[in-house]
Amino acid sequence: MDAPYAIEMLNITKKFPGIIANDNITLQLRKGEIHALLGENGAGKSTLMSVLFGLYQPEEGQIKKDGKVVDIKNPNDANALGIGMVHQHFKLVECFTVLDNIILGVETTKNGILQKDEARKKVLALSEKYGLAVNPDAIIEDITVGMQQRTEILKMLYRDNEILIFDEPTAVLTPQEIDELMAIMKNLAAEGKSILFISHKLNEIMEVADRVSVLRKGKYIGTVDVEGTTKEDLSRMMVGRDVDFVVQKQPRTPGEEILKVENLTVASKIHKNNAVKNVSFNVRKGEIVCIAGIDGNGQTELVYALSGLEPAAGGKISLLGKDITNTSIRDRSVMGMSHIPEDRHKHGLVLDYSLEYNMVLQRYFEPEFTKNGFLDKPAIRKYAERLIEEYDVRSGQGPITRARSMSGGNQQKAIVAREIDKEPELLIAVQPTRGLDVGAIENIHRQLVAQRDKDKAVLLVSLELEEVMSVPDRILVMYEGEIVGELDPKTTTVEELGLYMAGAKRQ
Amino acid sequence: MRKLLKNEGFESFIASIICIILGLIIGYVVLLAIKPAGASKAIVAVIKNFMYYPSGAAKIKYFGNTLVKTAPLLMCSLSILFAYKVGLFNIGASGQFTVGTCAALYLALGANMPWYVCLISAMVAGALLAAITGILKSYCNVNEVISCIMLNWISLYATNMILTKVKESTSPYTLVVANTNPKAILPSLGLGKLFSNNPYVTIAIPLSIILAIVIWVLLEKTTLGYELRATGNNKNAAKYAGMNEKRNIILTMVIAGALSGLGGAFLYLSGFEQWQCTQSSVPGMGFNGIAASFLGGLSPIGSIFSSYFIQHVTAGGAYVDKTLYCSQISDLISSVIIYLCGFVGFLKLVLKKAAEKKEGGETK
Amino acid sequence: MILLLQYMIIFAAVLMLVAIGGCFSEHSGVINIGLEGIMVLGALGGALVLKFYPEDGNAFGLITLTILAAVVFGMIYSLLLAVACVNFKADQTIVGTAMNMLGTAAATVIVKAMNTAMNPDNVSSTIQYINTKKAFLKNIGGFEFNWFMLITLVLVVISYVVMYKTRFGLRLMACGEHPQAADSVGISVYKMRYAGVIISGFLAGLGGIVYITSGVSEWKFENGVAGFGFLAMAVMIFGQWKPHRIAVSALLFGLFRALSNVYMGFDFLKSLNIPSGIYNMLPYIICLVVLAFTSKHSRAPKAEGIPYDKGQR
Repeated sequence: MDAPYAIEMLNITKKFPGIIANDNITLQLRKGEIHALLGENGAGKSTLMSVLFGLYQPEEGQIKKDGKVVDIKNPNDANALGIGMVHQHFKLVECFTVLDNIILGVETTKNGILQKDEARKKVLALSEKYGLAVNPDAIIEDITVGMQQRTEILKMLYRDNEILIFDEPTAVLTPQEIDELMAIMKNLAAEGKSILFISHKLNEIMEVADRVSVLRKGKYIGTVDVEGTTKEDLSRMMVGRDVDFVVQKQPRTPGEEILKVENLTVASKIHKNNAVKNVSFNVRKGEIVCIAGIDGNGQTELVYALSGLEPAAGGKISLLGKDITNTSIRDRSVMGMSHIPEDRHKHGLVLDYSLEYNMVLQRYFEPEFTKNGFLDKPAIRKYAERLIEEYDVRSGQGPITRARSMSGGNQQKAIVAREIDKEPELLIAVQPTRGLDVGAIENIHRQLVAQRDKDKAVLLVSLELEEVMSVPDRILVMYEGEIVGELDPKTTTVEELGLYMAGAKRQ
Repeated sequence: MRKLLKNEGFESFIASIICIILGLIIGYVVLLAIKPAGASKAIVAVIKNFMYYPSGAAKIKYFGNTLVKTAPLLMCSLSILFAYKVGLFNIGASGQFTVGTCAALYLALGANMPWYVCLISAMVAGALLAAITGILKSYCNVNEVISCIMLNWISLYATNMILTKVKESTSPYTLVVANTNPKAILPSLGLGKLFSNNPYVTIAIPLSIILAIVIWVLLEKTTLGYELRATGNNKNAAKYAGMNEKRNIILTMVIAGALSGLGGAFLYLSGFEQWQCTQSSVPGMGFNGIAASFLGGLSPIGSIFSSYFIQHVTAGGAYVDKTLYCSQISDLISSVIIYLCGFVGFLKLVLKKAAEKKEGGETK
Repeated sequence: MILLLQYMIIFAAVLMLVAIGGCFSEHSGVINIGLEGIMVLGALGGALVLKFYPEDGNAFGLITLTILAAVVFGMIYSLLLAVACVNFKADQTIVGTAMNMLGTAAATVIVKAMNTAMNPDNVSSTIQYINTKKAFLKNIGGFEFNWFMLITLVLVVISYVVMYKTRFGLRLMACGEHPQAADSVGISVYKMRYAGVIISGFLAGLGGIVYITSGVSEWKFENGVAGFGFLAMAVMIFGQWKPHRIAVSALLFGLFRALSNVYMGFDFLKSLNIPSGIYNMLPYIICLVVLAFTSKHSRAPKAEGIPYDKGQR
């Protein structure tokens, strides 16, 4: 007789020095079900999955497959047991074709030479069966993120995996693509595959999952059937308190123009086309304007051009009425532009510098911190201590903590503190809440609104639909390098927004 | 914080000592393999260097000789570590040293210039050569290691060609500076007297130590140092913060090149050696400088001591019994030490990570 | 003219072997700056066979043994890089530089010790192989054909097939582009990187012996290989990390290197009266110029130079 569970993780405990990442967690995945694993960033979801894949060995607990205890020492053991995963950051070799990526690791050869014809047939058959249309000979870096994700799913199916894990799969998709993915997942489950769906997005879980297990701060909170529960119940389980989904803000009339962008064009570093095409918009005093869109539609390049990290290929950018199209990064910063960068490790921080040195990253040369070419260390210390206090940045050793050793949330808080304390006229915030927990997200949203209420201009770039709908006063949707629509968050719907994001509709 | 810094310094010190000991042991094993009988004597000779001489006066005089060559080595080592702090691997210190030598000697012998003119032009020559690397790196994305090596060879051939004009007619060596143009010899300011009247001991030695301190202050205390180190640690963040990455790369190479070029002048304007115009490879100074800078824990102050150590061992190679062993044994030891320095980074990283994990855990 | 062609082909062969060696290493994710040192050791291994092989011995045996010694020396020496950079995540630039210095120093010490042991008055670091070298050469109408030319051609073709048509090549390149992806499908990144580095040892070691037998009949090991390992790296970049393109660009660089050997044979060049120093500099200058124009858009393997840490998936 078949055991009812495809995989069981029983009483798993995994400790790291000074922290219990998984504290007695139990997760049981039934055959043919879609089981959601819900929890905030840092709740222990990824540790649990790493245990399942043999990357970590738990101190306590055991794993059962089909009722039998199994020992998973490394990812190969997990693969052999038919466990596959679509990672949040795809594990695809960008200069290889779709087919090469699928067969990598399980290639068929004859006399040492690769045989790809059989594999191609099998891939085509699989994509037909599950509705995963993708060209096997396309190069990964040329295809859309949605296609890349399908490649990842095909990779699992090609290996005849029975247990499929999706790690935050919707973060990079348009609402329409998300719908397609949900259909594919249901289809897979109907064919007998067991699916583990890791997410913190309640709407999606409500739509697709059969059951939900919730983790919070490394602890197992419980498992419930989706039928018979509500979004509010789930969010309370996840966060441990009631969550305010609405960002509090009073209506305001925007003032004069701070940033003006006219016919801006930016060349792409990846392909020959322009990444930003002929874009015009403005941001005024006392308003938050949000650039919405799927990742990779030119938002990054747009911000690079605004901040000066990349040159503009054409058009004009004006800040406070002055043409800054060819102005240096330093001059833009001094003129009153602040920039919370997309990638805090790449751009935002010098990780091997202390927190105090990072706090003056754009201002170290000002007379306040420099005397006759020498750094004024006491002044820097005093300044850093004030910011740490005011913005509640937590770290092991205060101002002298190495930035590298701080948690992601506190690193972000430090950047936000630094950028806002410059008292900029224009604050550009790119995905400022990425990877943070609910408390930190609320905090940063409050800071953005506070800037607006101080009559400053805020340009927010976001991929999160909830953020797009709740924070800004105006939404500009970018698709393939163009602004295809301007929406009012008070009157528009997620569906309408999705149509613009997918390029199906434009004004 | 102070405690941590101390620990880090201490860590570097211990790591360096391990490298030195292992390097010497491997050198000893090689000696044993070549000829077991004289091995112990030879390795002792390498370690003893000037202590080989019985009389105190001779010891001090030859100690002076080691110092004379330590000064240029320290300059190369400073050049390499300075560039490394900004994220550049200046393997071209040898070439910069060579063109520095070329400028200094040509102006001294060919144009009868006084020492300070020679010194400054050596700096300029080294800086200009290094600037090529910097420009290629920042504007054309050329890997600095490859361009440095190419420039090393180019400067070697160019220097040989140019200095042939001021060489002795009967030998491949350049004219003796002290005879041809005594005012080009670096002043001694009475320092030579302290070393049993060693004529080669000049202001080059104190000057190099002063420059080490200047480089330390520049890196650690000044706004420019803050900016350059930020570029070295994370050039994207440096760019984001409005620092001019291209300018910083070129500026760094210029400073590094000036230091190495000065090293060339320090050696040849002391009159200790003459340039051999048929030389078939660039001087080893620039490569030993790599050993010295890593052994010194990439600190300018540490470099003073590690440069001395490397030069001590290299000079010690000369006292090895030539009928049994060759003097390249010291090159072997210093290259083994560099190799081991590669592992030091790993060791320190592991220690650091462990420490950080603990801290991180505690704050959570 | 024939002489120029002959030198060009043999120098190009050296550059092809070493550059393709570097290419295998970089495609696995390890930058091999130590190519120069590996060449020296390979040259030493081959030269020792050439020196001690009986002069009346069988030519085929001599060729086989020389090649074997060169590649084995190269492969063993390249392990120094593999161990440091794969297992210990050492800085690849420092280790490579140390290997270059160590290669020359060790070869010099060994050769000098050997020479002195055989004749106490001989303190040079030179090995001679005037007679045994002849086994490699075959005179075809004035053109001195060298068996190494054919061997190189065969190895270039094999390299191309291995890299683009086999399972090994696919996996190797995956490790240099996206090691996490390779690891997630059960490929051992460490093993592949070892393989890449050892292949580079094989090819660079062979390149070393070809180089020191190319124009001369004795070699002074104190001189190392005069930056040829680095020229090969430039050829590799110019060839965009692809074996067939490397072969073409090696011919170009080979031409300039050959010019410095044989320019005296051309009346036109001779009449220009350019000092020999200029011709010596020429390959290095060309290299810099070419790099300046091609580096901006070069696409190196993405993960090269970054140690792979199993913990960071």
